[in-house]
Amino acid sequence: MGANVESAASAAFESWAVDGRLVTLLLLSAIVYIRGWLRGRRLLRDQHDPLRLVAFLASLLVLFLANDSPLDAFDSLFLAAHMTQHLLLMMIAPPLLLLSNPLLPVLRGLPKAFVKEGLGPFLSWRPLKQFFAWLTSPLPAWIIFAASMVLWHVPKLYELALSSPAWHSVQHACFFWSGVLFWWPVIQPGPGKPRWPKWVAIPYLLFADILNTLLSVVFVFSGHLLYPSYGVVRAGTLGALEDQSVAGLIMWVPGSIVYLVPAFVLVMGLFTTSRMQAASAPQRVRLPALRKNPAWWKHAPLIRRVAQMAMLLVAIAVIADGFRGTQVAALNLAGVLPWIHWRALSMLALLLVGNLFCSACPFMLVRDGARGLSAPLRSRFSKGWQAKPPAPPSSQMSRLGWLRWPRALRNKWLGVSLIALYLWAYEAFSLWDSPWLTAWLITAYFAAAVLVDSLFRGASFCKYVCPVGQYHFVVSLVSPREIAVRDKATCQRCQTYDCIRGNQESRGCELYLFQPKKASNLDCTFCLDCVKACPHDNVGLLSVIPGKTLLSDAYRSSIGRLSKRADLVALVLLLVFGAFVNAAGMVAPVMTFEHRWHARLGVHAMPFIVGAFVLAGAVLLPLATFWLCSAANGSASEARRLAFSLVPLGVAMWAAHLLFHAASVWTTASVACLQILFLEAGLLFTLYLAWRIAQSHLKLFAPWAGVACLLFASGVWVIFQPMQMRGMMH
Amino acid sequence: MLAAAFALGDGGKIQFQRKAGAFNITLFSSPSPLRVGRTDFSVMVQNTASSNPILDADVRFHFVQRGVNSIAEVSAPARHEKATNKLLYAAQVDLNSTGNWRAEVSVQTARDSALVTGDLDVLPPEPPLLAHWPYFVALPVVAFLFVLNQRLKRRRRGVNRP
Repeated sequence: MGANVESAASAAFESWAVDGRLVTLLLLSAIVYIRGWLRGRRLLRDQHDPLRLVAFLASLLVLFLANDSPLDAFDSLFLAAHMTQHLLLMMIAPPLLLLSNPLLPVLRGLPKAFVKEGLGPFLSWRPLKQFFAWLTSPLPAWIIFAASMVLWHVPKLYELALSSPAWHSVQHACFFWSGVLFWWPVIQPGPGKPRWPKWVAIPYLLFADILNTLLSVVFVFSGHLLYPSYGVVRAGTLGALEDQSVAGLIMWVPGSIVYLVPAFVLVMGLFTTSRMQAASAPQRVRLPALRKNPAWWKHAPLIRRVAQMAMLLVAIAVIADGFRGTQVAALNLAGVLPWIHWRALSMLALLLVGNLFCSACPFMLVRDGARGLSAPLRSRFSKGWQAKPPAPPSSQMSRLGWLRWPRALRNKWLGVSLIALYLWAYEAFSLWDSPWLTAWLITAYFAAAVLVDSLFRGASFCKYVCPVGQYHFVVSLVSPREIAVRDKATCQRCQTYDCIRGNQESRGCELYLFQPKKASNLDCTFCLDCVKACPHDNVGLLSVIPGKTLLSDAYRSSIGRLSKRADLVALVLLLVFGAFVNAAGMVAPVMTFEHRWHARLGVHAMPFIVGAFVLAGAVLLPLATFWLCSAANGSASEARRLAFSLVPLGVAMWAAHLLFHAASVWTTASVACLQILFLEAGLLFTLYLAWRIAQSHLKLFAPWAGVACLLFASGVWVIFQPMQMRGMMH
Repeated sequence: MLAAAFALGDGGKIQFQRKAGAFNITLFSSPSPLRVGRTDFSVMVQNTASSNPILDADVRFHFVQRGVNSIAEVSAPARHEKATNKLLYAAQVDLNSTGNWRAEVSVQTARDSALVTGDLDVLPPEPPLLAHWPYFVALPVVAFLFVLNQRLKRRRRGVNRP
């Protein structure tokens, strides 16, 4: 018997229900607060004492315990557990949160542009300020708190919350937020001076305690079961009525302590007001120092080399396994690594940092090695071949490669064609399902990189040929980090332009991006040559507002103006529409349609059917879309700029699609929810960019907004279809 | 700060409770109402005399639907590891057609065994858009806030202009 009770108790304590969404939200909150707290600490030395940080983290911990601990698992079996959960949500987490004085640290912790442009108008909107001031004043706050407490304990409403997870969430949200409102007049967190004298909180808390006591009395002494659900299943010897009494006692005793202790502290505080006033000395303001690159940054090129070597080893393993291993894709590195994990990880890196996978590209390591080995041969050969004298030694870039990339190909059309070819070949030959073909593809990639860059100067392969690179360039337009100059004035004083010319230490940018004139991540492989070459340590990996560079049509180094680049527009549209076509190609209705035609046309028809699908969806449809939007906009150059606004939606679709394959261990439901969130974020971001690029002109904005909404709807349709899980054992 | 909004109810709906021999058996299911697709079934096995939960039983689910010309059957072992509340035994089961299903829960311990049955009504799957409606609410809300943001900015620019 005793052993049984013991094992039941241990099982109970193991009943943690960790909700990934909640944990993510709590972690994000902690990151934002800590960031803002550290910033505040730099500016105002005395204001942000560590206790506030502790209070904030403690409030998050309490929220986690209330929602994910065994309390949550048992709240439908024991009223006492449920009552404890409510106590934490109403009386512990909110005061801890307010004691952390969260407003300023949270605002400082959020991206500045978002606070200024997004929240700023609301924060300075007088009616909202007045409403908030009214809401957090003692009488309304007390009434809302009391109403929430009383109404949710009415049996019908409580039973509703027990029977429906959605209403249960609403109940908990009401408890927490009414708790925040209730404790606001007591703690009066900043910014600003306290609005009410402290003594006001004493009757305020005492009245709340009276209400709490009355409710507790009902639970303890009512003599009948208030919530019949707790009478249906009873575990252990604790009867339903006893459980109700225990719940009432929890509400009564710890609840009263929570009200009475602050009331007592306030009474005591009234006698020591003068001392407290003396303690609040004026704050010393410290100006932020001009930021420099962090110490580890000087090792970034070395870190890059190590990453490239690691990726090269992985690539060799993939090729070897692809040629010699089992041809079951799910059991072969060439089936799983490139098509599932690498694609998903590179997307994650692009969304969280930037173009890290181009930085670690193994093809470039092999190319550099081949160039090094062939340098003596090349110099001997070029002596007799070049009429001009050799380039000055400072310009190392010119010594690499023999020829200049043909002028006719100095654009993205070749890359666009190769991506279209890839989209077709991926489906037509089921590349994901053939380790052997994948191994050949990677080998051909190495050969092409070495061949092109051995023949031609600079990083011609990356800039004009590599389809993976083009994809990364486009996606990194919405990355939060960029290789950029820290201080423009330093560049203006610079006479050597080492970032593009190179020097004895390092070659300059092989993609011809002149740092002071570079905007966005377009064509930037994060190779860090400019970082190494800059003698002023003025180039760094800086935070940027994703997509902001698309808002202007300024001249960009080595790219020109976006409104003049039809090839870039074609690349963007192909990748955006290609995202939807690629995902649609593996859902049941489309596959059924293709197989029906396959049966009708014959054994070898599949590549043509897939070709027609890709041609229609990823080439002709974007062309028609652009033509229609351009006509509606009345200007092709405006339409070219606005086409870039679709990038976030395309990225969202790629991310949602890759998430499906990468997160095969998750349940289908939660993946679908995340996919919808990705798509929604993409749509909203796209609409925002289009609105800003169109400068609020409806004629320019409306056609592209319509296209975005249609793409979003088609993405949602794709997500809700049964999708083929490729390349994974399941 | 929005964390409280994610707190979910636990356990699911009680489908039936039966006494059989030494056991008191309660079957829970989630989501409620039952629909075609993946369903979370959990069961609490208690000692009838003491109401103490029994944690060392071997529990199995068996679901049967008898049609005019066909029989659909699904079986699954129920385990503590699959349950959030470790006093329960749980399994995820795919019920792939609508209508009336018979649920059988068999419980076996070293000394006793029991089998209880009950009827379940399974509804057609919810349309995906309806099932995910909370996720789509965000769109009009954000759009409204953006429009408001733009109006406020415009008004502020108007006020600041000399």
